[in-house]
Amino acid sequence: MATIKVDHLSKRFGTGPDAVTALDDVNLEVSGHTFVSVVGPSGCGKSTLLNILSDIETPTSGRVSITHEGTAARVGYVFQSARLLPWRSVMDNLLLVQQEKDAAARRRCQDYLDMVSLGHRTKDYPGMLSGGMQQRVGIARAFSIEPDVLLMDEPFSHLDAITARTLRRDLHTLWQETKKTVMFVTHDVGEAVELSNRVVVFAKGGQVREDIAIDLPFPRDPANEQVAITKANILRKFEELEMVSS
Amino acid sequence: MVLLLLLVWQVVTPLLETRLIPMPLDVASFMWDEIRGETLARTTVWEAFGISLARLLTGLAIAFAIGTPIGLAMGAWKAVDSFFKDFIVVGLAMPSLVWALLTGMWFGMGNLAPIITVVLAALPFVVLNAAEGVRDVPSDLSEMGRAFEMPRSRVVRHIVFPSLMPFFFAALRYGLGNGWKGLVLAEVWAATNGAGWNIRYWYDAHRAAGVVGYALFFVIFALIVERWGFEALSNRVFRWRPSTDRDVVEEDLSAQPTKIPQTQEA
Repeated sequence: MATIKVDHLSKRFGTGPDAVTALDDVNLEVSGHTFVSVVGPSGCGKSTLLNILSDIETPTSGRVSITHEGTAARVGYVFQSARLLPWRSVMDNLLLVQQEKDAAARRRCQDYLDMVSLGHRTKDYPGMLSGGMQQRVGIARAFSIEPDVLLMDEPFSHLDAITARTLRRDLHTLWQETKKTVMFVTHDVGEAVELSNRVVVFAKGGQVREDIAIDLPFPRDPANEQVAITKANILRKFEELEMVSS
Repeated sequence: MVLLLLLVWQVVTPLLETRLIPMPLDVASFMWDEIRGETLARTTVWEAFGISLARLLTGLAIAFAIGTPIGLAMGAWKAVDSFFKDFIVVGLAMPSLVWALLTGMWFGMGNLAPIITVVLAALPFVVLNAAEGVRDVPSDLSEMGRAFEMPRSRVVRHIVFPSLMPFFFAALRYGLGNGWKGLVLAEVWAATNGAGWNIRYWYDAHRAAGVVGYALFFVIFALIVERWGFEALSNRVFRWRPSTDRDVVEEDLSAQPTKIPQTQEA
C-alpha cells in the first residue's frame, strides 16, 4: 500500500518583505486506493504541493515522503499541459520514462495507449495530435511506469468541456482498475466531486481548511441530487474562504 | 526569372560603352573551359574549390569545437556570459574583411590565414547560438524528466540535445555563410591557391569573365548547399515538426462514447 505523507510542510518564495508564502504548515496523509482532490482558489499553493512531492521544488521547512511498503514509491505525474517531447513519437515518449526499455515495457506502454484509445497512433509525433489526445498520451505515460502513486496537476483545465469529460471517465476507469493512490489538483469543484473519495480544501496562504470524505457511489452524474448537493456544499466553503482571504 | 535576367544581361551589355562587363555567353564559355580544366591559372576550378572547401570545413570545425563549449557555458552561467558577452558583440560587428587583412598580416601567405579567418568569422555565431540554445531548453520538459526520475544522461540526450538542434542549424548556416565570405577575401590577400586566389588571378589578368564566372560559381555552390544540403538535412532532423500542409487532425469526439465502454470492459 502506498502512502503520501506531508509533515509540517511550508514553502516560501523569495525573501524579506517580498516573500510569498505558498504553503503554510501543511499536514496531510493519503494512503491506499484513495483518489484525493486538492481544491482551492488560485495561488493557494496546490501546484506547489505537487511540485514538492515530485521533487521539482524543495520545501522551505517540513518533510514530505511517498512510500510503498516502506520503500520509496514510484510516482507518475500528469501535468497541466501534456509535456511530451515533440521530437519523439508517442511510443518513444512513453518508453523514455521507463526504467528498463525492454519488450515488457513496450508491451505495457502499448496496453496503456490502448486504454486511452490511442493504440493506433503510437508512431505519430505529438504535433500531429490534438490537445486532448496529447493529454491522453500524458496520462498513459504516467500509468505506464506502473506507479504506486499518481500526482495530477489540473490535467484537464486546458481542454474543452467534452474532451475533459471523456478523459475524466477514462481516468476514473483506470483508477478503479489499477487501484492506485491518486492526488489530483484542480480548481474545478465539480470535477473533484465527480472523481474523488476525499477532497482537501486549501485556503489562500497555503493552509488546509477542510478535509472532506465523499462516500457516494460511482459513476457520479453531475445531475444526481446527492452529487449536486455535495458540490454546492464545498463551493459554499470555497466562497467563504475567498471572502476571508480577500 | 533566371532566364529573363540572363537575356537582359546578354542584350543590354553590348549597348554599354564599357567593355568590362562580360556577356553571359563569354562567362559561360570561359567557365566551360575552366570546368574542363583548360585554364591558364595554376589550379583548375575543381582544385581551387577543393582547397577552399577543405579550409572552410577545417575552420568551421575549429569554430564549433571552441565556440560550442563557450556558448553552452554562457547559457548556463551568468558570470561566464558577462565575461564573454562583449567579445561576442565585437566579433559580430567585425567585418570579415578586417579578419582577412589582419590574419594575412599576422600569418602571411598559406593555409593559416584563410582558416583562422573562417574561425574568427564563424565563432561569434556559434557561441551566440549555443548560448541561446541552452537558455531555450524547455524547463517544463526538464521538470518532466525530473518528476519521472529520468537518468541525467537520458535528459541530456533526449531533452537538452534535441532542443539545441535549431540553434545548431542557425549557427551552421550563419557560420558557413560568414566563414565563406571571409575565406574568399583571405584567399585573395593571403593565399597562394584556392578559389579566392583564382579570382585574384583573373582580376590581375583583366579577365572580367573570370571574376564574374567564379563569383557565379560561388552563388551556384551556395544555392546547392542551401537547397540540397541544409533543407534536406533540416527536413530530416525536424521531421517531427507538423508541416503546414498536414494539419493536426482534431479527434473525432463522436467516436468517443463507443470507445469508452470498450476500455471499461478491458
